[in-house]
Amino acid sequence: MITFRDLTLRLRALLSPRQVEHDLHDELSFHIERETRKLIEQGMPPHQARATAQARFGSPTVVADECRDERGIAFVDNTVRDVRFALRSFRRAPLTAFTIVTTVAVGLGVVAVLFTILNRFLFRADSVPDISEMYGVERPRLANGDQSPFTRPAFDALRRETSVFTDVYANVGDIDLRVDGRMMAATLVTGNFFSVVRINPVMGRALAPADDESGGSQVIVLSDKGWSRHFTRDPNVLGRTVLVGGTPFEIVGVMPAGFRGLEVSAPDFWAPLAQLAQFLPVHRGREDSAGVGIIGRLKPGLSMEGARAQIAAWDSNRESATTGGLPRASGSESRDRAETIVLVPKRGTLPQPMEAVAIFTPLFFAFGLILLIGCANVANLLLARGVARQREIGIRLSLGASRRRIIRQLMTESGLLALAAAGGGYLISRLALGSIVYFATRTMPVDFGDSNLDIAVPAADWRVALFLVIAAMAATAFFALMPALQATRVEPVRTLRGELVKNARPGRARNVLIGIQVFASALLLIASAIFLRSAMASSQFDPGFRTVDTMIIQVVNEPKRAAMVQAIASEPTVTTYAAVRPGMLAWPDAGFAAVGASRTAVLYKFVSPEYFEVFDIPIVRGRSFTTAERDGEHPVVIVSESTARKLWPNGNGVGETFRLEPNPGSDADAKDEPPMPARLVTVIGVSREVAGFRILDTKEAGIFLPISVNAPKTAVVARVKGDPALAHRTLVDRLTRVDPNMGMIATMRTVVRLETFFLQIAFWVSLVLGSLALLLTVSGLFSVLSYLVAQRTREIGVRMALGASSQKVTRLILAQTTRPVAFGLLAGVGLAASLATILIALPAGAMIAEVVRVTDPIAYVASLLVIVAACLLAAWIPATRAARLDPMQTLRQE
Amino acid sequence: MTPRPDLLPGTLDMLILRTLQRDALHGWAISERIQEISQDVLEINQGSLYPALHRLEHRGWIEAEWAVSELGRRAKYYRLTAAGRRQLAVETREWERMSNAIGRVMKHA
Repeated sequence: MITFRDLTLRLRALLSPRQVEHDLHDELSFHIERETRKLIEQGMPPHQARATAQARFGSPTVVADECRDERGIAFVDNTVRDVRFALRSFRRAPLTAFTIVTTVAVGLGVVAVLFTILNRFLFRADSVPDISEMYGVERPRLANGDQSPFTRPAFDALRRETSVFTDVYANVGDIDLRVDGRMMAATLVTGNFFSVVRINPVMGRALAPADDESGGSQVIVLSDKGWSRHFTRDPNVLGRTVLVGGTPFEIVGVMPAGFRGLEVSAPDFWAPLAQLAQFLPVHRGREDSAGVGIIGRLKPGLSMEGARAQIAAWDSNRESATTGGLPRASGSESRDRAETIVLVPKRGTLPQPMEAVAIFTPLFFAFGLILLIGCANVANLLLARGVARQREIGIRLSLGASRRRIIRQLMTESGLLALAAAGGGYLISRLALGSIVYFATRTMPVDFGDSNLDIAVPAADWRVALFLVIAAMAATAFFALMPALQATRVEPVRTLRGELVKNARPGRARNVLIGIQVFASALLLIASAIFLRSAMASSQFDPGFRTVDTMIIQVVNEPKRAAMVQAIASEPTVTTYAAVRPGMLAWPDAGFAAVGASRTAVLYKFVSPEYFEVFDIPIVRGRSFTTAERDGEHPVVIVSESTARKLWPNGNGVGETFRLEPNPGSDADAKDEPPMPARLVTVIGVSREVAGFRILDTKEAGIFLPISVNAPKTAVVARVKGDPALAHRTLVDRLTRVDPNMGMIATMRTVVRLETFFLQIAFWVSLVLGSLALLLTVSGLFSVLSYLVAQRTREIGVRMALGASSQKVTRLILAQTTRPVAFGLLAGVGLAASLATILIALPAGAMIAEVVRVTDPIAYVASLLVIVAACLLAAWIPATRAARLDPMQTLRQE
Repeated sequence: MTPRPDLLPGTLDMLILRTLQRDALHGWAISERIQEISQDVLEINQGSLYPALHRLEHRGWIEAEWAVSELGRRAKYYRLTAAGRRQLAVETREWERMSNAIGRVMKHA
């Protein structure tokens, strides 16, 4: 029972403990004095009276303790004492406390980095009022991963005919386009979008239903992200117009920060869905068949399953009633009606959290290895210290402390260490994230940064804090408490006599811990060596054509092609340009070359004569195309050296004729044009071999056919003079004036550097992890060996006195670690190699293996040598210290 | 020093409350009064009186006040609260029921 009086008394005891203690002392001493007075009055001599009174009262200390217990603040009191005691014991062994905290903090820091990133995608719900009511209406994915979408008319009907939603909107998201010459991401929404999500603008107005009527207004509303990224948070941005597809759009509002429109990453702006054709010209004239997403606010009190059933019923009624709508995959009629509609909760997080978890699991494993190694170090340290503390604990036990009390004390200690480690881990993770983002943006190829990657430092929130504290508690509890519990299992008498309890020398546990550490560092270091070697190889890789000052320019709007080509031709920085079909980054067409009776599979593409000049590809034999040949359909080709060798092993190729047949089974049906008719062609030249890119899943063609620079469906490639980055900007400026919606334009250098860039990132991440792992392992090994040498001083002294040479002693100490280190190395190499083998065997892995040399023997050997050298170094110092022991002195000490 | 077994557990609280029924007393006076009135039969362990006093104070049955004592130095005087009076009534009733029952068993069994 807790009364008001009780609380005030407890509060007083907590807030002014000195006063309360003073009162207690006064009260008890008054009693003894009063009793003494009584005895004196009864005729007892004063000194005897006092002794008798004290004897009658009992121990004031014990009584005072019992009174404190009655006060009910013993818990707080004890905790304060425990904390004080813990701080004192940290001060006595500051290095140990520091080592534990930093070790665990480093491990926690790297794991927290990953968690912060994951947190951003998985748990950070959008700031939409009552977000739990928001559901997307979708049809389930088919086996091939396709999803048959709803259309605008279907949405209108759903809104009219069903009543499960308070209100519902449609959207078309992820539209990347060039607006005013910059790449922006747009989401088109129906006019009621902002009223459904219940978000008000911080400036101007939101989109209104009137904006979204046919022929409605050309307006956009900026997100906070778009406002700061493209308009530097200009307060006068309202009323400004931007060009989208040649049409001016007026900025009418800005939305608050934190609102992402129920997407993982906020778009730069929202625009009315009725303007679809301006944003995606493909849909011009057939807007009603474009797929839209449908998201609604469920009526309160309606269950998700009930709503789903209603919509499913409505959907199948509508499908059988109307002949319109999208054709559905065959067999959909036979599908169970219950499976035709799914409601997906929309929270602005990844829709498929399991997929993200699958990607993050191996990463968490790699990062968690650091924490594991750190904790193994701490455990080793505490196991060693546990022996030292047995004495202290034995003394406390024999002085009457209960085992519970001592365990509580040890738990308080590890709790304090955990909190400090969590704080340190937080600082480390912020620092690491900051520098990762800094270096990634600094080294990122220029035009790559222009795209819509969101590269701000992800914010930490209470979830990260909670994660850190829980992980720190778990780590310290598991690795610090176990040795502590072990330490309390002592027999006071024997401990005081200096005997150690048998199982308090867990040599086996120690070896296992060392083995695990070496294993983890081997795994991480092998990975970093592989990435380093691959990055080096790829930076020296010669794709076989000029990449320093060339660029690719996509032409997406056929009506604007002539103007675009004209603009490129008249640009002074462009020295040469050529047309190529399909584009540089796409697969060339597949076909067969028939020479006589034999048919050989070949890749071919159409290029204008300047192609070889732009990319500096020499014609080794014969000649290039003439201007006359490019404009007409002349039956001439240039082949690559390897193709020439393959087709005519004995001849040099020039002057030969063969029949070029397209391969109808290839992906020709994906392009909406009839396949090229088979034709008889004559080889006029042989070009030097081109290796092609490695990061892209493409190969350079072996056969080149002539085409005009003005031919449709071609991309333009150009050689520029001066700084390519500058030329890139000039071209973007100039070409967006011709076509504001123009497609991608990138320097070849960027494309080449992307490959190195990702490898470098992987290298740095694994190098940092690997060196951390090695550092922790080495320091752990060092401290364990030093401890062992200290502990075995006497034994070593006896051995040396009996004639063991210092060499033998060194070998004895080194032998302690040989087995666990060798075991760890073997396990690490084994796992790395088998993971590599599995990766190569996977279809997707084969392509990765071409760029990342997962079985590079030099990488394996180098990282193993580093580990062995580091371990030897760590073992050497304690071993030599043991070898230099003076046997006489050692024995005299005993 | 050793707790006296002759005092039934739980009765000490009741005795303290009863002693404080008329006026406020300090700890020593309480122990004296109990001893005096019981004609030295109930000699309570002096030290164990204080945890009991603190417990009763926390339960709100008695309240304390510092005042100058007969020795001329300050002492802590305890007084019954209204809640303490109610508690005393409850415990007295319980005690009478119990002692009657024990008395009947001792007489007739």
